Amino acid sequence: MTTEHHSILCITPPHMLREIVTRGSSAQRDWALRTLTTTEQFRGVRQLYADFPALAAPTAAAGKQRIVYSADQGSSLPGRKVRGEGEPPSGDVGADEAYDGSGATYDLYSDVYQRNSIDGNGLRLDSTVHYQKGYDNAFWNGQQMVYGDGDEDQPPADRLFNRFTIAIDIIGHELTHGVTQYEAKLIYRNQSGALNESMSDVFGALVKQRALNHTADQADWLVGQGLFTANVKGVALRSMKAPGTAYDDPVLGKDPQPAHMKDYKNVSYDNGGVHINSGIPNHAFYVASLELGGKAWEKAGRIWYVTLRDKLGPLSNFQEAANLTYQVAAELYGNGSLEQKAVQTGWAAVGITVGGGTEPPPPPKGCGQTIMELFGMK
Amino acid sequence: MKNEPMKIQFERSGGVAGMRMTTTVNTDTLPAQEAQMLREMVDKAKFFDLPAVLATSKQGADRFQYRLTVEVGGRRHTVETGEAAAPQTLQPLLDQLGQMARRK
Repeated sequence: MTTEHHSILCITPPHMLREIVTRGSSAQRDWALRTLTTTEQFRGVRQLYADFPALAAPTAAAGKQRIVYSADQGSSLPGRKVRGEGEPPSGDVGADEAYDGSGATYDLYSDVYQRNSIDGNGLRLDSTVHYQKGYDNAFWNGQQMVYGDGDEDQPPADRLFNRFTIAIDIIGHELTHGVTQYEAKLIYRNQSGALNESMSDVFGALVKQRALNHTADQADWLVGQGLFTANVKGVALRSMKAPGTAYDDPVLGKDPQPAHMKDYKNVSYDNGGVHINSGIPNHAFYVASLELGGKAWEKAGRIWYVTLRDKLGPLSNFQEAANLTYQVAAELYGNGSLEQKAVQTGWAAVGITVGGGTEPPPPPKGCGQTIMELFGMK
Repeated sequence: MKNEPMKIQFERSGGVAGMRMTTTVNTDTLPAQEAQMLREMVDKAKFFDLPAVLATSKQGADRFQYRLTVEVGGRRHTVETGEAAAPQTLQPLLDQLGQMARRK
C-alpha cells in the first residue's frame, strides 16, 4: 500500500494526513501514520502522539478533565477547589459557569476538530473564579483561566460589569489563548498579537454558536454579550459583524475596533492594540462564515483551526494569515472551491487581497482532494 | 517636597475587554487627605527608583497594561508595567488611580 501511494505521499500535506488518522478507517489510519512518522515535514513522533493521544496506549490521556477553584476574592492561584470533573453543580453560579463553559469549549475542539484539550494531549482545564475584589477582567495566565466578578465592589448604580463567566464565548476565548500558546505561538504584540486575540474571539464565538446551535446568519457575532450591566450603553465588548459598534458609553468610551485595514490603529498601549486591531481579522472571519452559510464551526472554523494549528507562526501578520487561510481552504475543499472563494471574499471585505495574480501558486492541484476521495472521505 | 503639587497621569489598557482608561490627577485640586494618600503611595512604591519598563511574562493573555507618569518637584518619571509584573508596593497606587479613573 505504501509503495502504491508513494507518488502522492510526497505531496500530501501533513494536516491532511492527520485528518485521515482521525477520520479514516483503521487501514487508512495505519497508512497515514506511517507516512506521518517518516515525513520530515512533521514535527516528530513525540508530537504525533501528543496530537493523537489514543495512539499512545501506555500513556493514553484521559478525556475531558476540569477543575474549578475559587480565589475567594484573593489573588492566590489556583485557590480552593470547588468542583472537579463529573461532580454535581456546586451551587456557586460562577464556578458552575466556568465548569460548563470550559466543557463546551473542550467539546468544540474535541468533537469538531478532533483535538484533545488545549495541548492536544488531554491537559486538564483549570479555572479560578472570584479572583480579587472588583476585578473587571478574565485572563489566561499561561497555565489556567482566571475570572473576576466584575465591579461587584461598586454601588449597584455604578456597576458596569457582571461576573466574567457569564459569557460562554469569553470562556472559549481564554481557553483558545491556551491552544494558540501550544500551536502557532503568536507573539502577543502588534499584528501577531491581534491575530492571537482574533483567534480567541473566533473560537469563543464558535463555542457559543455551537452551544446555541446557531447558523452563521442566526448568530449575534458579539463577543462578551451579557457582561455589561444595564448601566452601560452597549451590547457587548466587541462585534465581529460590525467592529466599532459594540458600545458607546459616557464612562467606557466608544468601541475602538476597526473593521478595515484603512482604519488600522498604530497605538502604543494594549501591546500595540491587540484587542483593537483584532476587529479586522474578526470581521474577515464573519464575512467568510456568512458567505458559506450554515454552521460556522463546520467549514470556516475548520479552515481557521487548521491554519492556527499547522500554518501560522509566532510573527505571522494579517496578510500571511489571509494567504494561509486561503491556502488551507484549497487544501481542505479544493482549489477554486466555494469555500476558498468565501475566504477570499472575507479578507477582501477588510481590505486584504488574496489569490491575486501575484500570489504564490496554489498547492498541487487537487492534492488533498485526491487523497480524501481516494479514501471515500469527501 | 511635601507641599509641592504632584501631577499623575494614569493609563490602564488591555484586559479581555481591551478598554483604555485614563485619568490625570493634580494633587493641588484634590482634598488634602486624598492628596496626602497619593503622595504616600508614590513614596511607598519608591516610584522614582522603578525601571521605566518592568519586564512581563511572555506567557498568558488578556492581562492589564499600565502606564504611569508622576511629576513632582521638577522630577518626572514614567513606568510601564504589565499587571503580573507590577511590584506589590505599586499595587495600591494602581488600584487607587483605577478607582479615580472610573469616577472622572
